[in-house]
Amino acid sequence: MSFALVACGSGESPSGSSGASGAPAGPWTFTDGSGEVVKTDKVPTRIIAHAGEAAALISFGIKPVGVYADEPVKTDPNLKNLDLTGIEILGEEWGKIDVEKAASLRPDLIVADWWPAEKAHSGLEEGVDEKSKKLAELAPVVGATQGKSILELANGYEALAKSLGAKVDDPAIAANKKRFEESVTAFKAAVATKPGLTVLAMSPADDKVYVANPEYAPELLDLQSFGLKVINPDAPDKGFPYWENLSWENADKYQPDLILWDGRSFTPTANADWGKKQPTWFKIKAAQAGAAIAWPAYWMHTYGDFATELDKLSTAVKAADENIGA
Amino acid sequence: MKVLISTPRRAPALAPGLAVLGVVLAVVAFLSVTQGSRDIGLGEVLGALGSWTDDGTTNTTVTLELRVPRTLLGILVGAALGVAGAILQGVTRNPLADAGIMGINSGAAVFVVFAITVLGLRGVGVYVWFAFAGAIAALILVYAVASLGREGATPVKLALAGAAVTAGLGSLTTGIVMTNVDALNELRFWQVGSLAGRYAPILTGVAPFLIAGLIASLAFGRVLNGLALGEDIARGLGQRVGLTRVAAFGVVAVLAGAATAACGPIVFIGLVVPHMARFLCGPDYRWILPYSMLLAPIVLLLADVIGRVVVPPDELQVGVVLGLLGAPVFIGIVRYGRMSEA
Repeated sequence: MSFALVACGSGESPSGSSGASGAPAGPWTFTDGSGEVVKTDKVPTRIIAHAGEAAALISFGIKPVGVYADEPVKTDPNLKNLDLTGIEILGEEWGKIDVEKAASLRPDLIVADWWPAEKAHSGLEEGVDEKSKKLAELAPVVGATQGKSILELANGYEALAKSLGAKVDDPAIAANKKRFEESVTAFKAAVATKPGLTVLAMSPADDKVYVANPEYAPELLDLQSFGLKVINPDAPDKGFPYWENLSWENADKYQPDLILWDGRSFTPTANADWGKKQPTWFKIKAAQAGAAIAWPAYWMHTYGDFATELDKLSTAVKAADENIGA
Repeated sequence: MKVLISTPRRAPALAPGLAVLGVVLAVVAFLSVTQGSRDIGLGEVLGALGSWTDDGTTNTTVTLELRVPRTLLGILVGAALGVAGAILQGVTRNPLADAGIMGINSGAAVFVVFAITVLGLRGVGVYVWFAFAGAIAALILVYAVASLGREGATPVKLALAGAAVTAGLGSLTTGIVMTNVDALNELRFWQVGSLAGRYAPILTGVAPFLIAGLIASLAFGRVLNGLALGEDIARGLGQRVGLTRVAAFGVVAVLAGAATAACGPIVFIGLVVPHMARFLCGPDYRWILPYSMLLAPIVLLLADVIGRVVVPPDELQVGVVLGLLGAPVFIGIVRYGRMSEA
């Protein structure tokens, strides 16, 4: 552990909650993404965190005792470049968490994003293994909300780290924020050179095509706020509003100039492969023209990662042809 | 339909009934090509069908490359599942027999998972062949296990062997996909049972097997009638019971194997359509088989068309529609019909 709970048997002020500098005493409170205020007598030290949330905490010097991810930690975009020695891996597949192993770590806090559309924390949503949900019985679950901006997540985890006693004045943290500001400026400038450019965030699958609803994808809302015209699908699925589902007959319902392809399935040859496999994929003119780039879908939690991804998107926007979909 | 029901067992009425079903199937097939989650004018569909060339418009591509193969596949797969169910119910004298409980689906799933995890292969076009091989391997295994012992593959032993093999292969599949996310995701798509996303290459790949199997199946009417009287009587009538069973299983393996390979495990059709056929034409397998062969694709295509028009621009998988609509229909048949013993 990079920080220790100071053993002060008594006398801590009951009102002394989050945000105090130095090694904090208890009690500890934090407002979860759901709006619920979580209180504990002592400041949590043994944390189990979901993948991206763990990466965010680690960036502030807080090392969880265990993590669970939605894919192997070697490929998870948040974890693949991190040193995870000393951290127990409790899951490497969506919906499956080894709760027994988690219990043996004696956690006093679970850190996981709050997903407003599903009203659940990461790993505890509807559809996961029933056994996985028992994770929530081990300790309080808190997280920032997958709300209207990646910055909500980044700032939320900074606040959480601070309340847990992390020093958030590391120069690297400030440097990442500065880098992010520069990336945003560069991205806005790139978008300004292509006033007519429209993009669509998509995830093709064997039986249908999924079109992302920016309303529930914070990074897409951010891109919209930076001026990029990300198309809003007009009939998102009511039960699972992250997407509008298109049958392959309707793959060409929207005609963007550039496709933002779900980064979880994007490969350099994906567009050509799907063109061969699905008779209607190339009816999307942007696909026919090969105008597709990876979309960092639902994983970013830090200023640094967002800056890196924005730079890639700026390059793609500058190279894009804004008249393909017209 | 009412007319047919009121004169169920008279052969003279059964032949025209078959013709009526043929017309109904043609109508449903027409619906399947003209209706869908994409709004295409009737004139445009007919124009595309008439010229039979892809002029590059999306409507033409959807008609010729999506809807036509889908409809043809639906007809063949539906017919195959219906007939395979009827033969299995007859040969095992078990009214609840269908391809699923004979291990076909679980065998196909294991082989698909094997292709994904061990060989690293991807894509519906590849899974077809592994699913086919797996279905046949499972059926051979079931038959071999049931044949152990003196009295051979009796109906009870077949049912038990089918259940055991299904359970064993099922846990094998679960064991593998638990440790392999990729395999799980790929299998999820395959396991729903759908006509979506299957195009001409899959149709032309499985069509020869399905057509050959369907033709061969029509030869089983008389021997299944014999078996329905009990094995001893069938033997007394001069039937070679063991040989009949082996041949019947062979045909079922080809039919259900190819159908499951192409579309994933589609429930309901193989189980219920033979009962619908019996309801219409009585217990004579010489009629049950052709009736099932026409009724099953009508049911499958109709369910698929419903799934394609209820939630545009999305679609429901035909497996889901069959589950939703099928259960009440089945209960209705059991409750109000004469669900004759197979």
